[in-house]
Order: sequence, then C-alpha cells, then structure tokens
Amino acid sequence: MKEPIVKSINITKSFPGTIALDQFCFELFPGEVHCLIGENGAGKSTFIKILSGVYSPDSGEIIIDKKRYDNLSTQLARGMGIHTVYQDDVLVPHISVAENIYLGSKDMRKRFFMNYQTVYKNAETLARHYGIDLNVKELYENLNPADQQFTKILKTLAQSPKILVLDEPTQVFNVFETDLILNIVKKVSSTGTGVVYIAHDLDEIIKVARRITVLRDGRKVAVYDGGINELESSLLAKDMVGRPVELFYKKKKHNIGDTVLEVKNLKLGSTSKPIDFSVRKGEILGMAGLKGSGRSAIARAIFGAIDRYSGQVLYEGNNITPKNPIEAVRHGLAYLTEDKKADGLFLSMPVDQNITIVGLSSIHRSLIKMKRERDIAGNFISRMKIKTTDPGQEVQYLSGGNQQKVVIAKWLFRDANILIVDEPTHGIDVNAKTEVYELFTELAAEGKSIIMISSEMPEIISMSDRVIVIRKCEVSSELSGDEITEHNILAGYLGGTN
Amino acid sequence: MSDKKTRMKSSASNPFHSWFRSQTGYLILVIIAVSVIATILNPRFLSARNIFNIMQQISVLGILTMCMALLMISGNLDISIGNMAGLVGMMFTRMVLTGRSQGLAVITVMILSTVLGLINGLIISKSKTTPLIITLGMSYVFYGISLIISNGRPHSLGGQFEFLGRAKIGPVPITILIYIFIFALAYLLRKYTTYGRRINAIGGNKEAAFLSGINVDRHIIALYGISGMTTGLAGLVLTSRLGMVRADSGSNYALQALAAAIIGGITFEGGRGSLVGAFLGVLLLGIMYNAMNIIGVSSYLQTIFLGSVIVIATVISNIGNLKKQ
Repeated sequence: MKEPIVKSINITKSFPGTIALDQFCFELFPGEVHCLIGENGAGKSTFIKILSGVYSPDSGEIIIDKKRYDNLSTQLARGMGIHTVYQDDVLVPHISVAENIYLGSKDMRKRFFMNYQTVYKNAETLARHYGIDLNVKELYENLNPADQQFTKILKTLAQSPKILVLDEPTQVFNVFETDLILNIVKKVSSTGTGVVYIAHDLDEIIKVARRITVLRDGRKVAVYDGGINELESSLLAKDMVGRPVELFYKKKKHNIGDTVLEVKNLKLGSTSKPIDFSVRKGEILGMAGLKGSGRSAIARAIFGAIDRYSGQVLYEGNNITPKNPIEAVRHGLAYLTEDKKADGLFLSMPVDQNITIVGLSSIHRSLIKMKRERDIAGNFISRMKIKTTDPGQEVQYLSGGNQQKVVIAKWLFRDANILIVDEPTHGIDVNAKTEVYELFTELAAEGKSIIMISSEMPEIISMSDRVIVIRKCEVSSELSGDEITEHNILAGYLGGTN
Repeated sequence: MSDKKTRMKSSASNPFHSWFRSQTGYLILVIIAVSVIATILNPRFLSARNIFNIMQQISVLGILTMCMALLMISGNLDISIGNMAGLVGMMFTRMVLTGRSQGLAVITVMILSTVLGLINGLIISKSKTTPLIITLGMSYVFYGISLIISNGRPHSLGGQFEFLGRAKIGPVPITILIYIFIFALAYLLRKYTTYGRRINAIGGNKEAAFLSGINVDRHIIALYGISGMTTGLAGLVLTSRLGMVRADSGSNYALQALAAAIIGGITFEGGRGSLVGAFLGVLLLGIMYNAMNIIGVSSYLQTIFLGSVIVIATVISNIGNLKKQ
C-alpha cells in the first residue's frame, strides 16, 4: 500500500472545560476520500482546524510527507498544499466571483494593474472543468447561497490542493447541487488529492467515502475501510452512541395532560415541507437537531419573530398564530434564545429589571414601583438560586448559568405557559445544568409545557417525554418512550435509509 | 478571569466607584475646577447674576440635550432638532406677524414639531435605516422650509412674546424654570415610568426587546414625537429670548446637544448613561463659555476648547472599556 500523505498520531486538544480531541489518530492516503462523522462537539472541526494550522494541539504529532510536526501554522499548512473550505468562510461580497477566486494570487496583477482578462478566463475555465455553471463576472453578493458555496470551493480548488478539507460543504444545497459537489470530490481525488470530508448526511457518505472515521466526544470510535453500503449504514449511528450513564440526568416522572399547543402546516419558505407537531400540558418535547438544521428558525417562526410562508399555531384549539412576538407573549408563549447575550438579556440593566421587562404593566401602572419590583425579583433570585450580589447588579457581571436563570425567571414572571428553550444549557457548567434540569422538571410538573431545542444528546434523551428530530428544516422523525435512544435520534440527523 | 470578575463586582457594589464610572463624578470635579479658576481670575463669576445668566444661556441647549439624551439612550439620534427648533421659531414669528393670535401660533407650532418628530421616527423605524443619515437629511429639509417661509431674511417679533424668554419669577428667569422642569420630566420618564424602562431596554438590546414582546417601533416613534414636541418648546423659548428669528437660528444646537450628552457620559451604544450626566454636560459647556468670556478668551480659541472637551470626555468615558479587554 502507498504511504499516507497525512498521518496524525495521538493528537489531544483541550479547551477550558472540555477535551475536544483525545489521543486522535488519523490517516489519509493520496486519492482517498476520508469522511469524518459525529455529532456537534465530537471533535471533527477541532481536528481539521489543527490540520490547517489554526489550532495547535496540546500533544501528539502530525506527519506530512514523512516529516514530523508538533504543530502547524496556517502558512505552513497551505505551503504543503492543505486547503480547507470552512462552513463559515467569508468572501468579499462586492467584487466578482472571478476576483474572489483569484484574490491574492499572482494571476490578478499585470504590474500594478488588475489583469481582468486573465482572471475571468481562468475562473471560467476552472468552473467549466469542474462542471459548475457560474457567471464568473457576477458580484459575489448577488449569488444565491449555493453558488456562493461553489465559489468558495472553486477558490480552494484554484490553489491545486494536495489535501482538500471540506467542512459540511452541502449544508445549503439541494440534491442536484449535492451531486455536483460529490462529482467534484470524486474528480479531485482521482488526480491523487486526498480529501477530508466532514458530513452529516448518510447518502453522501455512502456515495463518496472510501473510508469513514466515527468520532464521539473527541475520541475515535470506529473506522470503516473501503467505504460503506446502505446495509451497513445503520452501524454508523450505533458507533456514535453508547455514552456512560453518568452523563444522563435522572428526571422524575409526572403525569402529562392534553394537547395545548399545535403547530400545523408550518412552512418557512415556499419550497420547504410542512412541519406539524403538538405539545401537551406538562410535557417536555425535545426538538433534536444539529446546528443549521433549521431548529431555531422554526422556533422563531412559531413565535412570530420571522416571516412564515404558511402555517398555523393553535393554543387549546384556538388559532393564535402570532404575527409578531408581542402577540406570542400575550398568548403565553415564551422564547428563550440560544445566544442569550445577543438577544436574550439586557446586559447593561440590573437583574430585577431584566426579569420584570416582559410584564411591567402587571406590577406597575404607568409609574415604576421600585420596591415592589425589587421584592418580586428577590423572590425569583432566592427560588432559583441566582447568584448575584443584589437585585440591582447588572446582569453582565453574572456567570453564564446565572444569566440563563435570569432569562428563565423573566418568562416565569410573565407566567408563560409554553416555553420554547433554545440550547438551554449551552456554555454553562455541570452544576448549573443540573439546576436548570431540575427547574424544567418542576415547571413541567406544575403544568407548563416546554419545547426544548438541543443538540446535546444526553440532555434530549434524559429530559424529553417525546422527541422530534429536525433535519433540513423538516421533522425527520418523531420518537416517544423507549424509542428515544441515541441511535434513533442520530438516524434522524443522518436521514437516509431509516 | 476570576480576578477581573471580583474587581468588577467590588466596583459595582461600591457606590463611590460606580459614581465615578458613570462619569458624573469627573464632571462635577471638572465643573468645580473650572469655577474655581474662573472665580480666581474674575470674582464676578460667582455672583448670583452671572450664575442666572449662565443658566439662561444654556436653557435652550439644555432642553434640546434632554431630547438628544433620551433618544441616544434608546439607541437613536436626531440631529434635525436644531433646525426643527429654527423652523418652529420661523413659523411662529410669521404667524404672529401676519396677525394670528399668539395662542393659536403656539398651539400650531407645537403640533407641527410633534408631527415632524413623528415623521422622523416613522421613517427610521419602518425603513430600518440609520437615524444619523435620515435626520441629517431632514435637518436640511427643515432648514430649506425655513428659508422659503422667511425668504432668507431675519424676522423680528417687534417686542411681542417676550414672556417666555425674558420674564422672571422673583430673581429667577422663567427659561431656567422651564429647563429644570423639562429635565425633571425627562428624568422621571426615564427612571420611573414603564415607558422609560422599555425605551432603556430597547437601547440596551433591541433584538431582546423585540423578542420580549415590546412593540419596538411604536415606542421609538413615540419617543421621536415627544422629542419633537419638546423641541417645539425649545424653539419658542429661543425665539422669545432673541426677540427675532433667522432660518439658521437653531442650526448649531443639534451638534452641541449631541456633544453635551456625550460629555455627560451618554454613548451611542444606548441603554446606559444618566440624564444627570447630560444635565451636567450642558452645565459644563455653559460654564466654560461663560468663564472664557469673562476671562476674555477669544471666540476662536473658545471653539478649539469646546472641541477638545468633547474629545477628552469621549476618551474618558471609554476608559472603562479599555480596561475590560
């Protein structure tokens, strides 16, 4: 067998609080397409960032062309022909596709002047070579998301990479465009380039992978040599599961009532498939979905915060479809956003004012009654064990977990009946997590309904009475009782054969 | 990380520290310092007459600064208020000179300025554009209308309508009372009304306010309306005090009001800053002008001083942010 072009040995990388990669070994041969799969946070992105020189590993080594490195810089990685297309790459919006593709390369210049002829001609040749139909003179910002993605990939291919790294390249694509990318990948690899391909879609993996490495919580758990067929595909999900029990919170059971909220025929765009689901009184409905699956957009659409193409929201049988958050709040809905600092909290305002902002008229007429406000906030602070020096402390000085509790307190103060919580424990420590879980359990027992959006598997499994899995802005499966397993949820993420 | 947190906590809980962080403390010190220097150079500075004089001079700017400060706290801005005040004065004067009653003229221009403010708010909220550019454009529009109405000539009230600008209650000029009244109202609105609380929240985090079910657009449009109405009052005070009006009578006020608010510690970020600070900012500007006049500093130099004070105050107000990084 040939020598690998890249080999990593025992790479470990930790961030405060987590070990992102643990003793990770990896090989890539010339002309091979090597797929990396795993959940959010499994370590895939960390690994490709180490490979491209963005992060330096804590320990371990990388061997490229038989040379050993402790860590790479981005220049070094590029110099050795490692080129990466990240998910969130940004190109220059107001210049043409062709200029973007050759930005910074020598072909751009004829002495001090731009050499437009060459740039356009080369870009067109490049696009045609890979079978992409693209007007290279168009401004980048005028392209649709799919064509923008093609441009990013062409820009990378223009560097003639020896090793091409693609981080979930097909997120914005439909089936046809996905096939185009898969063909490009095959074409590139047939010339001897090694491709590292991060994927979430089983179909893609089946079509393109020559080898598959499965990651879980920073560790390599399985390798499939020689690709995989549809029969074996269910094995992948099995490999991704199997966490130790300590990770799971043990929720107390309580009785669940009748349906309170129904979402009917919700479409975000004209071409998307309708979404239907319901929540019962006292139920915690898990909405499992990876980043970019459309889960937050669905929540915002229900809450009236973004435009819907169609759809109805029923509360106890009545059509309450909110036109905007004002109506949603009036009907007892609450939306706790994923990024609380960006759009959940008023950082420069004190804790008590953050809590009462959603229901000012319930404690005050027109004038503010300061003492009353402090007392009410004080109750929430002691009930929810919010750590703050006093109700007048600005929330920006609170820890992440306590900030999250302030947001929850705010909606409890409003007495919301339906709480849509988006990644409720993202970025908070283990103890705060447990406290949040206890609180949710308590609230559900009191008869409140919670729609919990999360990509954290243990959280979804231990907290949910029922789970809907979101994939590409649609409900890919619904699970309840014993069906709520890591395996079934992952199968929902991956789509494909199940 | 942990020592940063404790430092912040201690400074937040210590009233003396937070007082300084809000810039109010610095301002009071600077105001005292300037007053002491001015008094040493010319003892007349501290006379009751001169102090009333200062207050009267800053009253129009002070009223407009309250508008600007409230708008900035909500994350907005209106630099058309200067020319709006000028337009109000011009409309009023033309109406009085063409034989309309003063009462009718007052009511008309107050409604006019409220509507102009609402228009600003409506355009900015509904088109989601930058307040700076929209109100800059509107400022020219108002100035142009004033030019048309006045034919480009100054108009004198001929001794009519002196009450607002020149009357006194005892030794206290009525303009000062109006200014203090507006300041008190603005302070109450900000701190003790649910409306003011929501305005503050919108300035602090517009998206969070929207997702908390606050009708952001309606609150902001209303605030521009309130600001417009207050600007109408400022325009009347200005016209009455001068006894005449030109199309550009108010032109300088908007940027001065912006400067005073910034000196007072109010920032473009919104959601923070105190109206007491803005009040002191106006006072500092007034005292500095007056002191420089009394001492005999040339008006050219005064302009340089004003500019420097704005720069220094802005740098000081950002020192807290520098430390955070």
